Amino acid sequence: MSEIIFEGVTKRFGNEATGFLALDTIDLKIEDREFMAVVGPSGCGKTTLMRMAAGLEFSSSGSVRVGGKEVLAPGPERSVVFQQFALLPWKTVRQNIGFGLMCKGLPQELIDKQVRHYVELMGLQGHEESFPHMLSGGMQQRVAIARAYIMQPDVLLMDEPFGALDAQTRIIMQEELIQLARKNPRTVMFITHGVEEAVYLADRVVVMGKKPGRLLEIMDIKSTRDAENWEKLPVEEVMDLPSFVHLRSHIWKLLKSKEAGGAGDH
Amino acid sequence: MASSDLKREKNYLGPTGTTVPVAEFWLLTAAGVALLMGVWTLAATSGIMPRHFLPTPLDVFNRLQYLITNSFAGHLYHEHLLASIGRFLMGWALAVGIGVPLGLLMGWYRLLDEIVTPLFDAVRFVAPLAWVPLAALWFGTGIGGPLLIIFVGSFAPCLISAYRGARLVDKRFVEAGQTMGANASQMLRHILLPGAFPSIIAGLRVSAGLGWQSLVGSELIVVGAGLGYLMVQGQGNLSTTTVLAGMIGIGIVGFLIDIALRAAESAVKRRWGQS
Amino acid sequence: MPRLTRQTSVTIGTLMAVLVLWWLVTSGLGLVNSLRLPSPADVFDAAKQIMTKGYAGGTLWVQAMQSLGLVAKGFLVAIITGVPLGLLMGWSRRAEILLNPIFLILRPIPALAWIPLAIVWFGLGDAGKIFTIWLTAFVPSVINTFTGVRQVDPVLIAAARTQGASTAQVIRHVVVPGSMPMIFTGLRLSLQASWTTLVAAELIGAFFGLGRVLNVAGQDIYPGMIMVGMASVAVCGAATTWLLGKIEHKVIAWRPAI
Repeated sequence: MSEIIFEGVTKRFGNEATGFLALDTIDLKIEDREFMAVVGPSGCGKTTLMRMAAGLEFSSSGSVRVGGKEVLAPGPERSVVFQQFALLPWKTVRQNIGFGLMCKGLPQELIDKQVRHYVELMGLQGHEESFPHMLSGGMQQRVAIARAYIMQPDVLLMDEPFGALDAQTRIIMQEELIQLARKNPRTVMFITHGVEEAVYLADRVVVMGKKPGRLLEIMDIKSTRDAENWEKLPVEEVMDLPSFVHLRSHIWKLLKSKEAGGAGDH
Repeated sequence: MASSDLKREKNYLGPTGTTVPVAEFWLLTAAGVALLMGVWTLAATSGIMPRHFLPTPLDVFNRLQYLITNSFAGHLYHEHLLASIGRFLMGWALAVGIGVPLGLLMGWYRLLDEIVTPLFDAVRFVAPLAWVPLAALWFGTGIGGPLLIIFVGSFAPCLISAYRGARLVDKRFVEAGQTMGANASQMLRHILLPGAFPSIIAGLRVSAGLGWQSLVGSELIVVGAGLGYLMVQGQGNLSTTTVLAGMIGIGIVGFLIDIALRAAESAVKRRWGQS
Repeated sequence: MPRLTRQTSVTIGTLMAVLVLWWLVTSGLGLVNSLRLPSPADVFDAAKQIMTKGYAGGTLWVQAMQSLGLVAKGFLVAIITGVPLGLLMGWSRRAEILLNPIFLILRPIPALAWIPLAIVWFGLGDAGKIFTIWLTAFVPSVINTFTGVRQVDPVLIAAARTQGASTAQVIRHVVVPGSMPMIFTGLRLSLQASWTTLVAAELIGAFFGLGRVLNVAGQDIYPGMIMVGMASVAVCGAATTWLLGKIEHKVIAWRPAI
C-alpha cells in the first residue's frame, strides 16, 4: 500500500511572530494508486507539499507519511519528475535512465534490458547515445519520465512536468502519460498550473488557495470520466464535453475567487 | 522534525543546502588559524630542520620589529616596503594605461584586432621573469628593468578584459545609441566605456595580483631596494627570519591591494546595477 | 588549396612586416646596437649553437626536457593534492571554514616569494623547484575545484537522491562531472603558474634548465641566446597548454558547443 497522508502539515518560514506561513494545517490523503492533481495560484505551496512527500523539504509541524512510513529523505520508491527535467548533462540518455538501477547495484545486463524496454515505451529509440542538450524539451522530459518509471516506484511525484514545454508537445505528453498511468497505475501526485491538464489527467483534483496555503476543495473527476468513457475519445473532444467544461469552469471560478487569494486579492 | 533536521545537517542535498551556525563558524575559523600556527611552531621546534632554517612565528615577529628599527641591506623595513609599492604602482599604471585602451580599440576595430592578436599570442607565453635578462640588457640596473617585468606581468589581463568588455557590450545598448543618433565619441563615452567597465575592473584585479607577483620576482634579481631585495639578501645571509619577515610584508600588501580592488569592483557593480 | 581567411592573411602580413622591420633596425640600417637588440641572424646563430653544441651545460633539447620534466612533476603533485582538497572543501562546509584561514593567509604571498626560502631549505636541486611549483600551482586548483563543486546545480543532486544514490554515488556521478569545467579552468591556471614559477626559480638558481640558459645568457651578455631562451620558454608553455586543452576536450565531451 502506498497512499500519501499529509496530517496537520504546516510550513512556516521565519519565526512565530514575523514569519511567513506557507502552508496552514494541511490534511490530505491520496489513496493508493490514485492519480491526484493539485492546482492553485503561484505561491500557494503546492510544490512545497510535493517536495515534502519527496523528502526534499520538511514540515514545521505535522507529519507526512507514505505507505505508513514517515518521510525522512528522498528515495527511489518515491520517484520525482522535475519541471526543469534535471537530467545529468554528462550522461547519455541510456545512462540517465539506468542511473537509479545502477545505484541499486543491479547487474549491467539487467539494467540494459530494462532501459531498452523503457526507451521503447517512451519512443526514444535512436537517441540512446545522445546527451541531453541535444534533445528537444519534450524528448528530455520523456527521458525524465522513463527515468522515474524504471524504478518501479510506489509513488510518482510530478512537479509541473510539462510546464517548460510548448502547447503542442504538452498535449502529446499528456496523452502519453495517460496511457502510461492507466497501464501501470501508481500513486501519483501531479502539481500543475494548468486546470485543463488537471481535469484531463486526474482521478481527483485538489484546489489550493494561498496566503496562507490551504486546501479549498477536493473534486472527484473519476466518476464522471468513467461514466462518460473519456478514455475512448481524443483529447480535443474530451475537452469539448459539457461535463469537462463544467468541471473546468468550477475550478477557474474557485481560483479567481477571494478565497484563493489570487488576482484581485491582496 | 528532529530527524528531518538531521537529514538536512548531513549534507543530503549538497553543500548549498547546509547552513553552519554562527558560533560554530567562528570556532572553526579560529581552529583553522590555530592549526596553521600550531603546525608551523611544531615543525619549527621539532628539529626536523635546524631552528635557523625554520624559525617559529615568534622568531619572525621579533625579527620584523628589529628590521623596522635597524637598517638591513641598506634601508629600514618600511623603506624597502615603500620602494616596492612605488615600483609596482608605476609598472602597473603603465600596463593599465596601455593595455586597457588598446584592448578596447581592438574590441571595436576588427583590423586592429587582427594585427595585434598574433603578436600578442606569440609573446604571451613567455613567463614574465624570462624577460629579466633582456631587461637587464636594455636598462642595466636602472628602474626600467623592474618596470618592464611588472608591465609584462600585468599587461595581459588588462588587454584581455578590456577586449572582452568591448566585445560583449550588450548589442541592444549599441543599437539604442545608434537609433538615438549618437556620434562616435558619444557612443564611446556613454555606451561603450560604461558597458565595458565591469569586465575591465575584474581584469584590473587579476592584473594587479600578477603585477605584484612580478614585482617581487624582479626584485629577486635586479639590484636595488625593496622587499624582494630584502629577501634575497636575507637568503644570502642565511637569515631565514628576514626572508619570512619579507614574505609577510609582501603577503599583507598583496592582500590589501586585492581587497581595495575587490571593493572597487563591488562599488562599480552596485552603482551601475549589474550583479 | 584552402582559401585564406582575412585573419590569416593579416597575420602573415603582420609577421612578415615585423620580421622585415626587425632586420632593418638591426643589421640592415644598424639603427640599434646589436648588444641591445640581436638581429635575426644573431638569433639564428645562437639557436644553431645551442641545438648542436649546447649552452650552459646542455643542448636545447636537454635544457627543455629538464624544464618540462620539472613542470610536469610539480604540476602533477599540485593537482593530485589540490583537486581532492578542493572537492573536500567544496562538499563540506565545515572543511571549508576550517581550512579557509590557511588559504587566506598563504594566498597573497606570491609564489616567487617562496623561492629564497625553498633555496634555503632544499638548495638548488630539483626538490626545491618542485616544492616551489607545488606551492603556486596548488592554490588555483583548490580554489577552482571548490567553486566548481559549489556551482553544481542542486536540483541535479536532488534528482540523484530521489533515485536512491548514496553520498559516494552522488559525488562520483554528479559532483565530480559537474565540476569538471571549473576544475579544468583551475588546471589551466595551475599550469600557467607552474611555468612562471619554474622559469623564475631556474633563473634565480639552478644547475640546468631553460631558466638557467636565460640567466647565463644574460650574464654573458649574449642577446641572441636570450631571445632563443625566451622563445623556447614560449614554445614549451604553448605546447603544454595545447595538450591540456586536448585532454579537456576529451573529458568534457558532453558539453554543448559554446
